Amino acid sequence: MAETKQVIVKVKRQAGPKEAARWEEFSLKWRPSMNVIICLRDIAENPVTHDGKKTTPITYDSNCLEEICGSCAMLINGKARMACSALVDQLEQPIRIEPMSKFPLVRDLAVDRQFMFESLKRVKAWIPIDGTYNLGEGPRVSPEVQEKGYPLSNCITCGNCLEVCPQVNEHNQFVGAAIISQVRLFNMHPTGAMNKSERIAAIIGPGGIQECANAQNCVHACPKGIPLTESIAEVNRDAWKQALLSWLVG
Amino acid sequence: MSSTATRPDTSYLLRKLHSFTGILPVGAFLAEHFWSNSAALVSSEKYNTVSQELQTIPFRLIVEWGTIFLPMLFHGGYGIYIWLRGKSNVSAYPWVGNWLYTTQRYTGLIAFAYIGWHLYTERWLTHGRSTYANVAADIRNPWYLTFFVIGVLASSFHLGAGIWNFLCKWGLAATVKAQQAAGRLGALVGVAFSLVGILIIISFRYDWHPFSVYLPNK
Ligand code: HEM
Ligand code: SF4
Ligand code: FES
Repeated sequence: MAETKQVIVKVKRQAGPKEAARWEEFSLKWRPSMNVIICLRDIAENPVTHDGKKTTPITYDSNCLEEICGSCAMLINGKARMACSALVDQLEQPIRIEPMSKFPLVRDLAVDRQFMFESLKRVKAWIPIDGTYNLGEGPRVSPEVQEKGYPLSNCITCGNCLEVCPQVNEHNQFVGAAIISQVRLFNMHPTGAMNKSERIAAIIGPGGIQECANAQNCVHACPKGIPLTESIAEVNRDAWKQALLSWLVG
Repeated sequence: MSSTATRPDTSYLLRKLHSFTGILPVGAFLAEHFWSNSAALVSSEKYNTVSQELQTIPFRLIVEWGTIFLPMLFHGGYGIYIWLRGKSNVSAYPWVGNWLYTTQRYTGLIAFAYIGWHLYTERWLTHGRSTYANVAADIRNPWYLTFFVIGVLASSFHLGAGIWNFLCKWGLAATVKAQQAAGRLGALVGVAFSLVGILIIISFRYDWHPFSVYLPNK
């Protein structure tokens, strides 16, 4: 029985951002512990569709295969998730695979997440430790802050939280939950806190935290279980305080 | 953005103002409105006394426009603008928060349409001197009655969900636990407002004054 078991996969293909999209169906041989990346690899090995037509291997991003690099996010049966942790046995067939819709398409399942990296730069999602001279040791990080910060540092910039957010779309430039959570992470670090007001200023700029409408989809979609709604609330509190002060006292 | 700027973007200020006006004064007015209208549950005379009291406040037009009409027009108008800039996806991701997000928009729109009509019939047509008899007569019309019920439920839901939103979005309820508590508070407000609103409608429709027992015996 097991030898004849098939996995039916439908992939949305598009040769480039301006080309027309089409669906291709594949039937693959089932294997134990098969995940969606394995399906895409099997197709690459033998790029022949369900009805025997020869086609090209599918373009997609993946690297670590253990939900740590963040590159393999795509829509699987209509939901944003990591392909490497999407087990075939837990998916309804035919498995529909599409590229994420909120990022510019490169080809097939590969999208360009540059927007997220630009946003991280905008909010200075780093801790400046370099100077023209030795700055010496920084302040110690209390265990409490370490404990709160660690889960936030797990973000893999996969973009799932942006993909599922109703406020991230072509009408506005909302940076999305991941970026706000990074603002919280770097503001909570004692050295990072030295640039806190600059990060807050950036996050109350165009496309900033104000665009969040509290649908809270992000926290359900995050593969790393990051407490995004808590991060957004925390940054929101700092944000209105800073906005109010700057408005009252300049 | 210059690295030293600390001032917020205009869109930030407008969004915060929209959020704030939802509670104050618009939400507060809804509470006041339900409170004063529940005088009908005592007696039609009490209702008329309470409404006349409100209809004869000093600087009435300034107070009405400044604390009710303009804030509501802003909240409603900017609310529609916010709606148009979002892209609901509740069919793909049917989580509770996402449902509330979508319902917040539709109930807001229904409330807006209802309030416009309600102002026209009970404020404009009666020249701001509406009485128990006026409202009771209107509510006898089944279409009016239906619209009253829908308007009350939509406004109550919108305020309840809005309180939850507000508490989360200003960071007043930040942890998961606090946000759950905020959700329960919002649900309580939504249910309480719906109940009181429906009781008031029943009072007008059936001349029903359960609190008349408070009145001294005649
Ligand atoms: C009965 C009158 C109304 C009351 C008491 C009310 C109250 C509120 C409250 C308390 C909030 C939460 C604030 C927040 O999200 O931070 C809110 C949000 C909202 N209201 Fe209203 N509102 C009313 C009418 C309207 C109308 C007429 C519209 C127009 C469609 C509207 C659209 C919205 C929208 C779209 C939001 C969500 C904003 C966001 O997600 O950022 N509301 N409202
Ligand atoms: S916060 Fe979660 S969903 Fe968003 S980019 Fe980071 S890991 Fe992905
Ligand atoms: S391949 Fe790295 S997260 Fe899936």
